Amino acid sequence: MKKVMLYIEDGHIQDSLDLIEVARLLYKDEKVQTYALVIHGGLPSVQGFCDVIMHLVDDRLQSFDQRGIGDVVTAVHTRYSFDAILFLATPMGRLLAPRVAMQLRTGLVADVTGIASDDEGLVVTRPAYGGKIMAGIRFTGDGPVMMSVRPAVFTHTQGQKVDSRLVLLEGLSYRYGSMRKTKTEEKKIAYDIRDSTVLISAGGGMSDMHLLGKLAALLGGEVSASRAVVDKGVLPRAMQVGQSGKTVSPKLYMALGIHGSIQHVEGLKDVQHIISVNTNRNAPMCSISDIVVEGEALPFIQRLVQRIEKGKQLCM
Amino acid sequence: MVPAYKYEGWVEMNIFCVVKFVPDVDTFSYDYERHTIDRDGSVMRLNADDASAIGFALQAKKDDPHTTIEVVTMAPPSVVPLLEELLRVGVDRATLISDPLFAGSDTFATSTILSRYLSGFTYDCILTGTHALDGDTSHVPSQIAQALDLDHLNTILVIDRERFSTSFAAVEVEGEAAVTTYEIGMPAVLGLTREAAYKLPYVRYKDLHLDVSSRIGHISNRELGFSPDEVGLQGSRTKVVSTYTKVYQTRARKMVAPDEGGLEFVYGFLKTNGFV
Repeated sequence: MKKVMLYIEDGHIQDSLDLIEVARLLYKDEKVQTYALVIHGGLPSVQGFCDVIMHLVDDRLQSFDQRGIGDVVTAVHTRYSFDAILFLATPMGRLLAPRVAMQLRTGLVADVTGIASDDEGLVVTRPAYGGKIMAGIRFTGDGPVMMSVRPAVFTHTQGQKVDSRLVLLEGLSYRYGSMRKTKTEEKKIAYDIRDSTVLISAGGGMSDMHLLGKLAALLGGEVSASRAVVDKGVLPRAMQVGQSGKTVSPKLYMALGIHGSIQHVEGLKDVQHIISVNTNRNAPMCSISDIVVEGEALPFIQRLVQRIEKGKQLCM
Repeated sequence: MVPAYKYEGWVEMNIFCVVKFVPDVDTFSYDYERHTIDRDGSVMRLNADDASAIGFALQAKKDDPHTTIEVVTMAPPSVVPLLEELLRVGVDRATLISDPLFAGSDTFATSTILSRYLSGFTYDCILTGTHALDGDTSHVPSQIAQALDLDHLNTILVIDRERFSTSFAAVEVEGEAAVTTYEIGMPAVLGLTREAAYKLPYVRYKDLHLDVSSRIGHISNRELGFSPDEVGLQGSRTKVVSTYTKVYQTRARKMVAPDEGGLEFVYGFLKTNGFV
C-alpha cells in the first residue's frame, strides 16, 4: 500500500483533484491511498474523491504564507510518512514544493508532464531549455518522491465515489511567515484562455490585435498568444499558450504566424482542429495542423473576417 | 511579524545577488549522450530575471552609496569575464563558487552549496531572479530561503525604493490575475522578473578595460567543506537519465494557398464544423 499526499490548492480545486490520476500512474500495480491536505477552503469539493482528507483550520495561516504552509506540509509528512507528495505546478505550488523538499532533504522535480516506469523504477519527464528538450528524471534519494505537476496535463475521471475519512489536523508545529498583503489590483483581461472553445493565437510577427479580436468574436472565441508576442510586451502573460504559459484544449486553434516550438506545442492538449497560417510550410506548427494556409497571416485574416461577415449578411 | 508601516530612512545595506549564467536558449548546444549542456559550445549570458535583480541593487546603491553589492554564482570558471562586466558597472564584489566536486549537482545540492556560503555572512537582502531560462525549475531561490530561514517572494515587478529597509520591504508581485503588493520582513529572498523595469547599465567608456580582478573571489570546497556524498552527482536527489526532442503526432496538413480558393476552403471548413 502506497500513501500519497495531494496538496489541495484553494482556487485550483479541480486541477488539484487531477493529482489523483498522477498518484495512480506513479504506482500502477499497487494499491494507493490518497491523502488530501486541505487548508483554505475546498473541503466539500474534495469529499468523495480522496481516501483521507486532512483538514487544518487556522485563520491566521494565510493562503500566500509559503513558509507557514511549507512547515505544515512537512509536519504532516512527519506524522504520516508518505511515499509521495504532489503539488500543482501553479505559482504557489512551485514556491511551496521546494521548501518542503529542502526540509525533507528529498528530490523534487518541477513541472512534470509525463510519468513512466522501467526496470529500474520511476522516470518522470519535464520540459527544459525553453521546451526545446524533454528530460527524463529519476529520483535517487531515500526520501519521499516529490513533484509539482503541470495543471491540465493529467485528468482524473472519477468512477465511484470513495468513502472519505476526515481528519482534523491538530497539534502540528509550524510558524507563520512575515508577509502581509496590502493591496491587490486585478488585471484587465476578463477571460481565461483555458475556458475558450476557439482560440485565435498570435505569433511574433502579428501586430493588429484588434483584427484578431474581431475574428475571435466572429468565431465565438478569444485571442491567445505565443511566447514571442508576450515577451515583446504586446499581450499579457495570462494569454500565453505553452510550457511557460497555459495548457489549452479548445475545439479550434488558429495559429497565426506561430513557428511551433516544443515549448508552445506543449500547451496544446486534445485540440480538435488546428489551422495554421504561416509563410514557412515546414514550421513544426504546420505538421500538427489539419489545414495550413501558406502565406502571410495578416492579409489572409483580413479577408477571412470579410468573408465570414459576408456569409452572416447572406444568412440574414 | 512586520510592524505597521515604519520608514527608517536609508541605512547601510548589505545586498547579495545570487545569479545564474545560462546558455542562450536559441543557440545552445546540448550533449544528448551525457545529458548536459555543452557549455563550451554555447554562448553563456546572465539570466534575464537575474539581470533585473542586479539592476535594482545598483539603483539602491545609487540612492545610498553605503550600500554594498556582492554577486554570487555557482558556475564553471569560464564565466569570469561575465562577472568582470558586472564589476565594471558598479557591483562591489563577485564570488564564483566552483569545484569539480560540485559538478552534476541537482537543485537540492546546488541550494545546499549556495546556502552554506551565504550562511557565513550577515546580509540585509538576497536578490535573485524568478525563472532561469535553462532548467526553469525555480527551486533554488525557494530552497535557499528555506535553508536560511527567510521569507521569499518571486515574480516581483517593483520594489518600492522608499520602503526598502533593513527591517522590511514593500514589493509588487505579478500574479496570474492580479498585481499584489506585499510587505515582507527583511532579510528576505526577493526574486525579480525580467519584466521589472530595473535594467543593467552599460559600462562607461573609461571603465571598459578597468582591472577588476582583485574584486573576484573564488570559493571551492576547500572553504565550504562538504564531503563528496553531500554535493555533486552523489549528493543529488534527482538525476537526469534521458533527454530527447519530443515528436508530436502529425495531422493531415492540407496545404492551401492564401488565395480565393484557400479562403473558401478555410471558410467551408469553419462552416462544416459549426464555427460560423
